[in-house]
Amino acid sequence: MRHVIIGAGAAGLTAAKTIRILRPEDAVTVISADEYVNSRCMLHKYISDERDEQTVSFVDEDFFTKYDIQWLKGKRVTHIDSSARRVSYDGGQLDFDTLLIATGSNSVTPPIGSLRESENVFGLRHLTDAQAIKTAAADAQDIVVIGAGLVGLDAVYALVELGKKPVVVEMADSVLALNLDAHAAGAYQALFEQAGCEFYLGFKVTGTREKDGKITHVELDNGESLPCDMLIVAAGVRPAVEFLQESGIAYERAINVDEYLKTNIDGIYAAGDVAGLSGIWPNAMKQGEIAAKNMCGQQEAYTDTFAVKNTVNFFGLVTLSVGEREAQEGDVVYILEDRTCYNKAILRDGKVVGVILQGDISNSGFWQYLIKNKIAVDNIDKPVFKLSFADFFAIDDKGEFYWTAMANEG
Amino acid sequence: MKRILIDMDKCDGCLNCSIACMQAHRADHKTSSVYDLDLTDTANESRNTILLDSQEHYIPLFCRHCDEPECVKACMSGAMTKDENSGQVCYDEDKCGACFMCVMNCPYGVLKPDDNERKRVIKCDFCEDDEEGPNCVRACPTGAIYIEEVAK
Repeated sequence: MRHVIIGAGAAGLTAAKTIRILRPEDAVTVISADEYVNSRCMLHKYISDERDEQTVSFVDEDFFTKYDIQWLKGKRVTHIDSSARRVSYDGGQLDFDTLLIATGSNSVTPPIGSLRESENVFGLRHLTDAQAIKTAAADAQDIVVIGAGLVGLDAVYALVELGKKPVVVEMADSVLALNLDAHAAGAYQALFEQAGCEFYLGFKVTGTREKDGKITHVELDNGESLPCDMLIVAAGVRPAVEFLQESGIAYERAINVDEYLKTNIDGIYAAGDVAGLSGIWPNAMKQGEIAAKNMCGQQEAYTDTFAVKNTVNFFGLVTLSVGEREAQEGDVVYILEDRTCYNKAILRDGKVVGVILQGDISNSGFWQYLIKNKIAVDNIDKPVFKLSFADFFAIDDKGEFYWTAMANEG
Repeated sequence: MKRILIDMDKCDGCLNCSIACMQAHRADHKTSSVYDLDLTDTANESRNTILLDSQEHYIPLFCRHCDEPECVKACMSGAMTKDENSGQVCYDEDKCGACFMCVMNCPYGVLKPDDNERKRVIKCDFCEDDEEGPNCVRACPTGAIYIEEVAK
């Protein structure tokens, strides 16, 4: 069997390794536009000079030789012929028996002013983006970052480490609005402000002014204009599906997959961002593994779809956020706050539907399982923030832990 | 693989396991003794802990080095890996990006960021550089934790 994987990210490389372990005799080829394996979550550490092209990788240097995987790097797939079962790329073609599409996503630049055309506008999605930002930032004084989500603040954090003081424009009224509540977000905003950053929250960029192909000012909806010699746009991503035209593979915004991560065509699978199921790393790895198992004939469904979870770590202030962030009418909200921490739990019908822990996230992994499995806690005689895995503890004869409550819930 | 098994009924909650773990992870552990261990020094955090359930039973919480480790599946830097030979889940501090998605993904809440800088993960290493094996097990006076070979 010949297995071809497009993309060398979390889903792609996890799939490649999984196939190799399951099928020692099969041929596995990874083809990627990336020339270096890189972890998108660490690109900001490349900009800040903390890591280089090698140390931004998430696999060992000998990964491809160790697992006997052929890697065609720096090659962009241009077309998939799903009836001939052939992938075309710039420079050649590859035949496959099974195919995994794990091309991730690309950053989106909104069509405002000349954001899309100007040469001093950057996204932050690929290592090539980080390389371009690092080069441009060396001589930039006035840097504007559009978007204060995780990617935007990653970029800002890197720039701060380089001694820059970026100005951040964000439509929402708080930073990290998709990840945290306003209170927890405010703590990060304050730390960034102490580091010299300036925030325009609740503002939209309405236009730009240019000179010689470069944007010199961005205009805001309050009439203000911000001078800039460099712009980073972190306003979201879109699944990388552009090469799928006329492939016969069904997609809308993302590729359509069934619970086995199979597309509408037998033998062709999709995982990670491009499958549109979840935008976060742990889920992409799990999808890569499950797609690989199915590619090897082991039928396994992707069931762990819960994705409203994240951790944030800037300036050594850590936060865990799982589930809902704002309470609805009728919910019970618990808040525990002191000078070192801010903890919030939202309970509905005796179950935790959301938790934010800021300052100390020690031993907090059980919250995700409590929330995603909708396990009742109102029968446990303990304050909510004293809950732990101890309250659900069970151990099997091999010494592995498991959750008693989950078993009870069926 | 070898795993630290737990007999909860024997646990007295004495925390000798945690003290032994702290001593084993002191920077100067090879030349120092537990008798001058500074219990308030957060540089020597314990990798294990004993929790109480709502009935105040002692629940020893030790890294399982799981067969299907969720921490490894969450790691975006390659710092957390499952050693195919020993079966242990290994953590490479130099590779760690300190995103703490492993902390979030551990179903049992075993992992934590370090208290001092929040730059690394506090994780059981099975006392890898100690020929006599995990110090917690040797320090347990009741046999509540013990090592056994289990099927992979």
